[in-house]
Amino acid sequence: MKKVLALALVLLLMTGGVALAQKKDFPRRDLTNVVVWGAGGGTDVCNRVISAEMAPILGVNINVINKPGGVSGSLGMSYAFSQPHDGYTLAGVSESCVTAAVQGGWDKRMNVWDFFIVGGSPDVISVTPGSPWKDLKGLVDAANKSPGTIKACASGAGSIHHLNLLALEKGSGADLQFIPYKGSAPCQTAAMTGEVSVVVTSVAEQQQLIRAKQLRPLAMLIPESFTIEGFGTIPSGFKAYPGLAKHLPIYQAIGFAVAADVPADRKAVIEAAFKKAMQSEKIKKWAKDNYYVLSGKTGKAARDEFNRLESLFSWTLWDLKAASVDPAKLGIPKP
Amino acid sequence: MIGIERLDTFFTILIGMGTQPTSLLLLFGATLLGIIFGALPGLTATLGIALLTTLTYGMGPAPAMVALLGIYVGGVYGGSYSSILINIPGTPAAAATALEGYPLACRGEAGRAIGATTTASCIGTLIGMLFMVTMTPIVSAFALQFTSFEFFLLAFFGIIISGTLSSSDLVIKGWISGFLGLFLACMGRDPLQAFPRFTFGFPQLESGLDVVAVIIGAFGIPQIIQVLGGTFCAGEARQLTKVLPSFKLMVQNSGNIVRSSLIGVGIGSVPGIGEDVAAWMSYGAAKNASKQPEKFGTGVYEGVIATETANNSCIGGAIIPLLSLGIPGSPPAAMLLGALMLHGVTPGPMLSIEHPNFILEVTAILFLASIAMWIIGIVLARQVVKVLRLPPQIFMPIVVVLCIIGSYGLGLNLFNLYVMLPVGIVAYFMTEMKYPIAPLVIGYILGPMADENLRRALMISHGSFLPMFTRPVCLLLLAVILLTILSQMGLFRWLRQRRHANRQGTE
Repeated sequence: MKKVLALALVLLLMTGGVALAQKKDFPRRDLTNVVVWGAGGGTDVCNRVISAEMAPILGVNINVINKPGGVSGSLGMSYAFSQPHDGYTLAGVSESCVTAAVQGGWDKRMNVWDFFIVGGSPDVISVTPGSPWKDLKGLVDAANKSPGTIKACASGAGSIHHLNLLALEKGSGADLQFIPYKGSAPCQTAAMTGEVSVVVTSVAEQQQLIRAKQLRPLAMLIPESFTIEGFGTIPSGFKAYPGLAKHLPIYQAIGFAVAADVPADRKAVIEAAFKKAMQSEKIKKWAKDNYYVLSGKTGKAARDEFNRLESLFSWTLWDLKAASVDPAKLGIPKP
Repeated sequence: MIGIERLDTFFTILIGMGTQPTSLLLLFGATLLGIIFGALPGLTATLGIALLTTLTYGMGPAPAMVALLGIYVGGVYGGSYSSILINIPGTPAAAATALEGYPLACRGEAGRAIGATTTASCIGTLIGMLFMVTMTPIVSAFALQFTSFEFFLLAFFGIIISGTLSSSDLVIKGWISGFLGLFLACMGRDPLQAFPRFTFGFPQLESGLDVVAVIIGAFGIPQIIQVLGGTFCAGEARQLTKVLPSFKLMVQNSGNIVRSSLIGVGIGSVPGIGEDVAAWMSYGAAKNASKQPEKFGTGVYEGVIATETANNSCIGGAIIPLLSLGIPGSPPAAMLLGALMLHGVTPGPMLSIEHPNFILEVTAILFLASIAMWIIGIVLARQVVKVLRLPPQIFMPIVVVLCIIGSYGLGLNLFNLYVMLPVGIVAYFMTEMKYPIAPLVIGYILGPMADENLRRALMISHGSFLPMFTRPVCLLLLAVILLTILSQMGLFRWLRQRRHANRQGTE
């Protein structure tokens, strides 16, 4: 009898223990994801999708709110950072946020965050259908013959696409005339009006025009080729110009961040949910439909990625004289 | 062009939506919300769509489009309320409506004026919609004629024309006001090289002055001071009986309506420029075509009909390049683009293949939204006019509070209030010296476009102005700008007066 009682007691304790463990101490209430860009933009949509996937895993809601403004999302980042560092506030960020410090938006480096990178759409270089260049080599040769005359657009100065264009120029030796536009859409429109003939933006942004044969893709600016359904495969530019590997790829890094000093056990809970969500069919399908390449980096790998982006972006902006704070003063190493 | 089976699909969609209680409720709710957004100073159609985008995230694409287009149509129309009733345009698109609408309200005809603008807005939306389904390829081709030089000239023309038309005194005062707006727009980081201009080291100024704060300050504060100071008439609400415009008035204005719609669709389809410029241009065109242009500014129905038809037909025009090319034609349409992407619909050349019925769905929703807007508008007109019965001592302080909430509420940013107040005080003294304020706001809104595009155009042409004189659309715009300016010079005035005298002599 005693034995049975003891066994029952042990069992009770065990189940109680399991129940207690299930009734974990984080998260106990809803999380808030502060997206630092506007509703409907790439970062916003990406954060809404990943938050929706993570919520059932965590067992609480993740409320996504938008706080755009400032420079490079500085308003939203300052706001999210000013909240208690308890893991309940996420900041929905993208690679463009790394310039907030050198642009005077706030006074911190990106190493105050820990990142969870969902991914991004890779960049592709395309030309207008009426132009004579059939592949990257043709374009580079033409650019070498008459340097600085072929007009290329790649969103605004200091944007990720501009950085890709600069890296392409360094890696291939081509000299193009960069024309800045306020975003990828106006830049692609300019290609359609014939104002510029070369476009560097992401596959996601160009896919409609590529499939409608309004733009002719020459090469991917990543080591792999990329297949667009209903069009075909775009080769990587790295084959013709192995030198590109020194400067590229520069990936978009869209995802979210938490303050780096959030307790490690809480970060681990978020990380586990993030990793599980990244494996879900819904995320994979969403990525495919939206021409994203998934990353899934967390912890040190994600920190390294953002450090590299921060150094690249900051020093490029400084060289373009578009930064107001010296990156050296902030302690950002040169790329 | 649409074939019979497309027409059939269209009616199936239309009836499907028109008989669904939930979508009808959503439609009327969103349209009403849009009207309220439009009528409140500082809240615009663009902002309404932005806010609703977040709320529609959980809905399917079709109900989301119902809500978003409803708020779009309502928002563009709603601005006319505050323009007519209190001379504070609810949206920049309704600034031109105030020129004729407010004098009408002062005469006690506010109800009739709102009735006329409601009907004009409805017809404008419908004509814009017709263009959208039938003329998409032609209008898209037209939109692609605009490169940086054209954008600069168009923005410049928008500023010049609003300056010309809104001056009650010397026209040059309107232009000065417009250029002040242009200078204000230079503040913040420049759009091409991200160089901070006139920021004086304030991080808040990096992104420039907030448009909403400038609009509310410039339009709201002078009017509030003037009404409270008793130097300006507050509208009267004597004739409450008749709100529906007479059939005769609409028939008399049929030419005016068609012309204004064409201007609206054309301006709407050009990327980046929208309802505000369309309203000013059609107001100018109506004045030029009118038999009695001297009466403009004293409250004529032709004026309000022209502006409201144009700004609503702009919607259809702006959606054309959005759906066919993925290029939004106006600022609210740019917000719509974001919302569509959120719902997994990427507008562009492949849209008609991937979502074959989408354009017809949008057409059906636009049709229903314009009808909903008309019904709500006619019902509301009677009620909102009663606002004027409130004594200004009570009413105006409420407007003040609304103005402050409008400026602050946008980004919950206190700095906007520090922008609103000085802008408002400067605007007050400008009004006292008979400088019109609307060109300042139009200049501020179009300033970045003029600035960015002129500099980019020169970058592309390696500093040469020559392309401006070789492109057909540029030449056309240049000619119109020159004519607008020259027509204010002495010689032209004299010629016109003589012609006028001749005509009167022969009659």
